[in-house]
Parts: sequence; structure tokens; C-alpha cells
Amino acid sequence: MLRYIIRRLLWTIPVLLFISLVTFALVHAVPGGPFTREKPLPPEVEANMRRYYGMDKPLPQQYLQYVAKIVTKFDFGPSMQQRGRTVNEIFKAHLPISAQLGVLALLVALIIGVPLGIVSALKQNTGWDYLGMSVAVFGVSVPNIVLGPLLIWIFALGLGWFPVAGWGTPEKMVLPALALGVNSSAIIGRLTRASMLQVIREDYIRTARSKGLSERVVMIRHALKNAFIPVATILGPMFAALVTGTFVVEQIFAIPGMGKYFITSVTNRDYPVVMGTALLYAVFLVIANLAVDITYAFLDPRIRYT
Amino acid sequence: MNKRFLLVSLLVILAMVFTACGPKGEKLATSINMNCLSEPPTHDPNLATDTTSVQNVHLLYLGLTQFDAKTNETIPRLATKWEVSSDGLTWKFFLRKDAVWVHYDPATKKVTEKGPVTAYDVEYSVKRMFDPVTASEYAYVGYIVKNSQKFNTGEITDPAEVGVKALDAYTVQFTVEEPAGFFPGIAGMWFMNPVPREPIEKFGDKWVEPGNVWTCGPYMMETWEHSNKIIMVKNPKYYDAKNVTIEKITWYMVNEESTAFAMYENGELDVCPVPSADLDRVKADSVLSKEYYQAPNLCTYYYGFNNTKPPFDNKLVRQAFSIGFDRQKLIDTVLKGGQRPAKTFACPGIFGTPAEDPNFPALTLDAAKAKQLLADAGYPDGKGLPEITIMYNTSEGHKRIAEFIQQQWKENLGVEVKLANQEWATYLKTVYGPDTPQIFRLGWCADYPDEDNWVRAVFHSTKGENSIKWSNAEFDKAAADGASASDPAKRKELYAKAEKILAIDEAAMIPIYYYTRNVCTKPYVERTYSALGGEQIENWKVKVH
Repeated sequence: MLRYIIRRLLWTIPVLLFISLVTFALVHAVPGGPFTREKPLPPEVEANMRRYYGMDKPLPQQYLQYVAKIVTKFDFGPSMQQRGRTVNEIFKAHLPISAQLGVLALLVALIIGVPLGIVSALKQNTGWDYLGMSVAVFGVSVPNIVLGPLLIWIFALGLGWFPVAGWGTPEKMVLPALALGVNSSAIIGRLTRASMLQVIREDYIRTARSKGLSERVVMIRHALKNAFIPVATILGPMFAALVTGTFVVEQIFAIPGMGKYFITSVTNRDYPVVMGTALLYAVFLVIANLAVDITYAFLDPRIRYT
Repeated sequence: MNKRFLLVSLLVILAMVFTACGPKGEKLATSINMNCLSEPPTHDPNLATDTTSVQNVHLLYLGLTQFDAKTNETIPRLATKWEVSSDGLTWKFFLRKDAVWVHYDPATKKVTEKGPVTAYDVEYSVKRMFDPVTASEYAYVGYIVKNSQKFNTGEITDPAEVGVKALDAYTVQFTVEEPAGFFPGIAGMWFMNPVPREPIEKFGDKWVEPGNVWTCGPYMMETWEHSNKIIMVKNPKYYDAKNVTIEKITWYMVNEESTAFAMYENGELDVCPVPSADLDRVKADSVLSKEYYQAPNLCTYYYGFNNTKPPFDNKLVRQAFSIGFDRQKLIDTVLKGGQRPAKTFACPGIFGTPAEDPNFPALTLDAAKAKQLLADAGYPDGKGLPEITIMYNTSEGHKRIAEFIQQQWKENLGVEVKLANQEWATYLKTVYGPDTPQIFRLGWCADYPDEDNWVRAVFHSTKGENSIKWSNAEFDKAAADGASASDPAKRKELYAKAEKILAIDEAAMIPIYYYTRNVCTKPYVERTYSALGGEQIENWKVKVH
């Protein structure tokens, strides 16, 4: 197992290099640059800025210097849009906030979604099932951009239970976590239900019941553990997406997370931030997928890695 | 005896109590919650470009002059008075002697005075601003200063040749390229504000961070949580500190305007612009309608033509399109924000603009005349016209305006045009590139309230941006002469002439509407509405609420 993990981690390096190369090429191919302005800069001033950021060198050299700086100093470069801030500082300031929100949203998704799916599966085709799946359809169909303001309207402006926006205190975390988590909870709920329905019809469940185990033990220790495998599969990418920041929810609730930087760095053509955010996302995705694969080994003893 | 003594003392005491309980002054609160729409890229005065940064520079630093919030007139700030030589080429500004640099330590809350703000600081800042290495984006506004353009573009390399010099600690002299009555306004703009040499040399780009920075304005920076909030506290050493009643400003950074407005309605913000989608609701609401105000905004929305690309290389076609749609209907049905239909490029409030002159021809819809113009141009009923595209930068608002105008041209001229949009940075490259679209949307906001910043800076064929690729010798002369003339009446005459050529006779571009600012303010805030240079919050009052 350990060799497997190390091998997977080593594979990350060529993956990240490939992603960085493709992103670099794409972002430089797009028209416009970090110094495109409504009132065009005098050519000499723009030339100065390009020189300052090392952009007067040929592209391959720029790419190699970029990679070298990351490998040797773990320095992702300066932000071209925000003078005086480096990409590392942006990560340090905003990633923890996005991560906090993402983890909370994931918890919300699991806490709502898994029980929802289990109950719907066990009480299939009853009122509970229909209620549960209606909630799931609602959660999947209503996009964040509608759910967010809806939650604000009901719980902040209407009932006054929570503040409208911002980040920092526990009460400010509730609405954004809900807005972000409901969508995922619906997906998890439906998947759990489908998976459970399949598993409880298996022979080993009948064996477990005939052994005289309580229904609760059968469901949790035997059924859920196997039913959870498809859910674990999607949890990986879901975790990576939630934790690196989601633009819409952060915009609506004015949360100073990373999400905004994914989008604004592209519109601003802030090359180092674009590269930094792309690589960050890739790292999270790789780690999350590895974690999921390792979890399989615990969920299903038949799965073994060499 | 005892009784009488008691009675008298009682009366005396009562008299004292009653006089003490006379009408007190209004009780004032000391903090205000505002929203700046986005994270300011920097607070360095020489580098600030966006409205948030400019607003913050106004509160943290001092310009030589400022614009009066009600009249837009240039009034003293750091400079108490100024004078110009008889040939109009040399300006002297006399600084006040009680402005000081302060350093604020957020951890200990200690305020340390670092010395007076002097003319040497002004000279240092102006030269730094024009230094090509600094790469200030607003340097072009200051090009009236002698040799500044040459220095900024690298033509000359010695900063001593730039026309700014500190004659002594409190007198600074500017030499200008040509006489310019509007120069004191420019001299006070944020990018020319004095900056402190010591922290800049010590900290480099990080000199603006709280704890490093020196400021001299009415407020100091206490907290800067990037993308989250900024907290400013009153500078006790500001020369007018006794009249500043708001001691703490909290700036939230909420990008989403509907969220910000929800916060305003929830009492979390004291001031908020009204999103256009909420305008109808706000005007109809009994509480919000009283808090709502349409403030002046010195901006114009326009469509430019590519004057070299058919069919808009033909003046008659341009004129036809300009009067081929109903501006008032656009405002009433699409914009709904009390905007005003435009007939000139420069909006009301700009010195020299004929925007409010009833004798200046209006650009109202005249379908019959427009059709006639098209026919005269060789395109009767629009037949024979090449494919025409309106290009705009991606945005819901611009799309609705373009669709309205597209519909109007179809109804009134019988011409079908196409719409295309591009993302902002790509769009700018297209507009300023070699293949400028036939019709493209842009807006212009005043840097300073003078026509020079409009007709000359934007449309002069060589001295301006000239995105419309247009060259008219008479217009160029009027715009240039307007800048150098010293008699205000003559200047107005020249600018009126320039505007008439630009917007009416040659119709080189289509002025569409003059912006407004739709704002809601809580009733306990007593405020002004500045159109330029940021809100003057140091003059605001917040009543207890």
C-alpha cells in the first residue's frame, strides 16, 4: 500500500508539469494582456512594466524560469494586478477561508445527503421516499445563484436570524455553507439511494439478517459500507472543487475566498495568478482522488493495491 | 429665615438645572459602514486608477487642491492659495504649514508624527509619478506639466527637466507646456498627491500596508483584510481634526451589488448604490424612496464609429444613425435610472460643455430626416448597406441597450444590424487595434471637470486616444485652442464649436446618455455627493441612531 501511495504521489509531478505547460500556452494565446487598459498605456510605459515582470524574454524562457522558481523557492511569482502582493500571499490569505467554507459545505452535504439517501432507499416507494427525492431534485435543479439570494431573503432579511453576507463569525458561515452544500447533498442523496437499493438486494445482506444481526448493524456495517463506494468516488472531485473556492457563492455572500481569483485572474490576464490557481486546483484534485482510492481499500477488502 | 433660605436655594438650583437642560447640540455617532465594490489594487497615490483606490487616497492623503462637492470648483486643500504668471506658464502653489505625516501602528494604536508635509514631498511624488519605471496609468492626465510626457516616454531621462520644483519647504512651482486655466484642478488630483519618501525607499511595493505606511490625510489605515474589509480611523494630527466627527470608517468589499443592497436594507451598511433591477421597487417603497437620491455622475455613455470603415466613412450615414433612435425611450424603458439623453460628448457639470444649452441642437429621434439622409447617401431605405455590427463588451446591461437600439434602427431606418460582444480585455484590444468595429460601445468619465479632458483627451486626432479613427482639422484646432485660451467665455465658445462638429455636423460618434448615480443613504447620515475624486467623508456627520 505504501509503495502504491508513493508511486501515485510521484506521478503527480509529471501531471502538474503537463497542466502548467498547457495553461501557460493557453493563457498567452488569449488576446489582451495584463496591461491592456481602457486608456492605452504609452508604449514605453508598457515596455517598462513588461521588463519588470520578465515578460520581455522569450516565452519558453519565461516558462522555465517560472517552473524553476516554484521548484527551488516554492515561489509562485508576483500578482500583476495587485502590486505588492505575491501569489503565495494570496494563497495564504484566501485559501484557508475557501477551505473552511468548502469543508463546512461538504459536511452539510454529507449530513443531509447520506441519511436522505438511506431513508429513501429503505422506505422505497413510500411517502418518505418521494419526499426525500423531491428534496433531492430541488437541490440539484436550483442553482447556487438562485439559492443564495433565496436563503438571504428568507433567513437574513425576512427572519433576521443571520447576517446577510461576510465572513468571520460562525453565524456568517451558516447560509453560505447551506447554499453551497445543498446542491452536493442532493447528488449524494440520490447516489446513496441508488447504491443502497442495489446493495440491500445482495445475498450477503440476506445472510447477515439470517444470522440474527439487528437491522441497524446490517444497514450500517454491511450495506452502507458497500453502498458508499460510488459516493466516495464523487467525493474526491467534489472536495477539490468545494475547497478551492466556488466563485458564485463567494460573490453572493461577499466571502474573501479563492473562488474569485480563478475567474478574475483570467479576465485581468494576471498570468502568475492564473497559473497558480490552476496548479492549486490540480494539486487538490490529485490528492483528493488519491484519498478516495485509499478509502476504497477500507470499504472493500477485495480491493488491494500493489 | 430657614424656610426662605431653602426656597431661594431651591429656586437657584432649579434655575441652574433648567439652563443646563437647554437645547443641546445634535448627538453624533462616530462610525459609519460603507461598501467599496472591490478590493483596491493599491493605495499608492501615484498608481491608483480605480474608484476604490482613488476614494481611499482622498481619505488617507492630501492633494494640493480638491473639487468642491457641490459646485465642482477647485478649492484649497494642502495648498492654501495659488497664483499664475502673466504668460500662464508658471504656477506657484503655497502650502499650509500644519499638515504632517503620521505613522500609525495598528498593534499599539500609537500615532507618531513624522514631520511636516512639504513642497519637497510634492516634487518627489510628481517626478515619481512621471517616472516610466513607476508605470503610473494616469500620468497622461498630467502631461500638461512641462516635459512630463517626454520623461514618461523615455525621450528625456533627467527628472530635473520636468516642470515641477520646490522653491522652498512650502512653495512648489509648476511649469506647464501651454496656458491651462484648469491646471489647479489637475494639480490636486490623487496621482499628484505628495507621497512619503522614507517608507517607499524602505519597503518598496509594500509601503502601503498598514504598519508600514505614512499618511497625512484625515484618516489612517488600521486594518486591510484583503478582499474582505478595510478599517480607517481618524487621524488626530490632521490639521482640521476637530471638525471630523466620524472616527471610524469600515469599508466592506462586497462585489455583488444586490448583496450589498440587501445588507443596506438589513442595516449592515449605511450607504449603498441602488442596483438597476431594484430601482422600480425602491422608488415605490415608502421608506426607501425617501432615502433614495439621484446624484450627479460625470460620465457619458456613447457609441463610437469607425470613421474609416464603410458605411460610416460617410457623414450622412453617421448622422442618420445618430438621430435614428429614441434616447428618451431608452432611458424610460430600459435604463429607468433618471439618466438624461445626451446631445454632446461632455456631460453637464463639465466646464465648457454645451450639454444644457437649449440653443445647441438636440439629438432627438427624427425618422423621416434619418431616412432622407440615408437616401441622400445612396442607400434609399437602407438598401445597399454592408453588414453592420454593434460591438460591446460582455455585460447584461450593455446587451439590453444594444438590443433596444438595434430594434429602433430596424423600425425607424429599416436597417438590420448585428450584435457582437467580447470579454473586456479582448474587447479593448479589438477597439484600439487596427480593425476597430464599425460601431462600438464605450463610456467616458471625467478625470477633471473640464472639456479638455473630453474633446481633446479622447477625440483629438493626435493628442487624444482617437479610437474612432477620425481626423478633422477644424475640430482639432478648436479643441487645442480651447485648452490654451485663458478667457473662460472664449474657451466655452471654442468647445461649443468643437462639440457641434463632433456630435452634430460630422456625427463622428453617437452620444447616448449622461450617467446618474442612484444611491440610498440612511436618514441619519448627513452627507455630500462628490462627483470627482472620492466622497469627502471627513465632512460627513452620522447622527446617533
